[in-house]
Amino acid sequence: MTTPRGATFGAERQLGRLLITLAYVSVALLVGGVVLMLVAGISPLAGGPALNLDMLIPDLAALDPSGLLWLGLLTVIATPFSQVVLAAIAYGRAGDWSMVRIAGGILAVIAIGIAAAVLGTV
Amino acid sequence: MIIGLLMLGGGAAAGVFGSLLGLGGGVLIVPLLTLGFGLPLRDAVGVSLVCVIMTSSAAAGVYLERHVANLRLGITLELFTALGALVGGSIAFLLDERLITLLFAGLLVYVAVTMARAGTVPAAAGSELDVAPATEDPRANTMLERLSGDGYRVRHLGRGMVGATFAGIASALLGIGGGIIKVPLMHLAMGVPLRVATATSNLMIGITAAASTVIYVVHGGIDPYVAGPTAIGVFLGASVGSRLSHRVDLRQLRLLFVIVIGYTAIQMLLRVVG
Repeated sequence: MTTPRGATFGAERQLGRLLITLAYVSVALLVGGVVLMLVAGISPLAGGPALNLDMLIPDLAALDPSGLLWLGLLTVIATPFSQVVLAAIAYGRAGDWSMVRIAGGILAVIAIGIAAAVLGTV
Repeated sequence: MIIGLLMLGGGAAAGVFGSLLGLGGGVLIVPLLTLGFGLPLRDAVGVSLVCVIMTSSAAAGVYLERHVANLRLGITLELFTALGALVGGSIAFLLDERLITLLFAGLLVYVAVTMARAGTVPAAAGSELDVAPATEDPRANTMLERLSGDGYRVRHLGRGMVGATFAGIASALLGIGGGIIKVPLMHLAMGVPLRVATATSNLMIGITAAASTVIYVVHGGIDPYVAGPTAIGVFLGASVGSRLSHRVDLRQLRLLFVIVIGYTAIQMLLRVVG
């Protein structure tokens, strides 16, 4: 089935706005984290903590710089994934199932990468 | 405090340079962090990937709003780029760091030569309205038609898939956006107009970099204290750069860039030898 490109034009505009908004949100979070880091006198070369999802909320509540920094970084990383998910939804609404499968394939590849890294196979 | 501000300033300089010259900035951030701040190469690559996502997301958003990017083509090629990124991100933690440094130095030389030639050689590729001949397989034709845009027809999808996979490997291994591979691939090999190829590449860069960044995060390869100031600097620099582009003599800037990047390549090669 051939779906005209125009069928997803509205979704493309919304997608564009979402990307710009998330970019600004992540910058704001990172600015907050860097300000806290500088106020606390932490050097960027001090070696920051690795991501620990269990500590994210307690760190945010305690205004620990690493909490805001990791939240900002996770927002940065999640932005392109949300782009793929929303594109898949838009194509699904337009009935373009081959594009939905391709977008699903991208998310599957990413999921495999995460699973393999967590399991220590890569 | 001073180091944080220096990182922010260095990131901003990389962002301005990258934006004015049409690069993601990864080519500049990795040397900045390794040679300037003494970070291990793999940590610098992880931070660079974060910066690449940040700048490409904002740019891709603008391109999508204006309907310049070809989302359908970008998503299709991205499936293969993501596969490449998965492979690249995996082998990045297995390869000797000196080998990655050597590969990065090779990339810098390639970028410097490309930039130097860009000032003297007219743009390649045929007309933006080239129409590719129909292939024998009607299914392939339908696919190509669906990926094509207003006024142009996409061709050689197979080459695009192979090139996109290679771009993904290079991106994950070297911390670059991969636009330096994707734009010529789409424009020269697939018949996509340069403006659309650049916009679509921006759209793909974020997804590619995010796919490999996840692997770096899981491996503890991203330091938030370094990534924060550098990413903010790059974002601000790229915003300023996009507003300065019409006021700057790009020929002089390109010459300066070639000198800087050539010097950086030599420094990185010396690291491998030393």
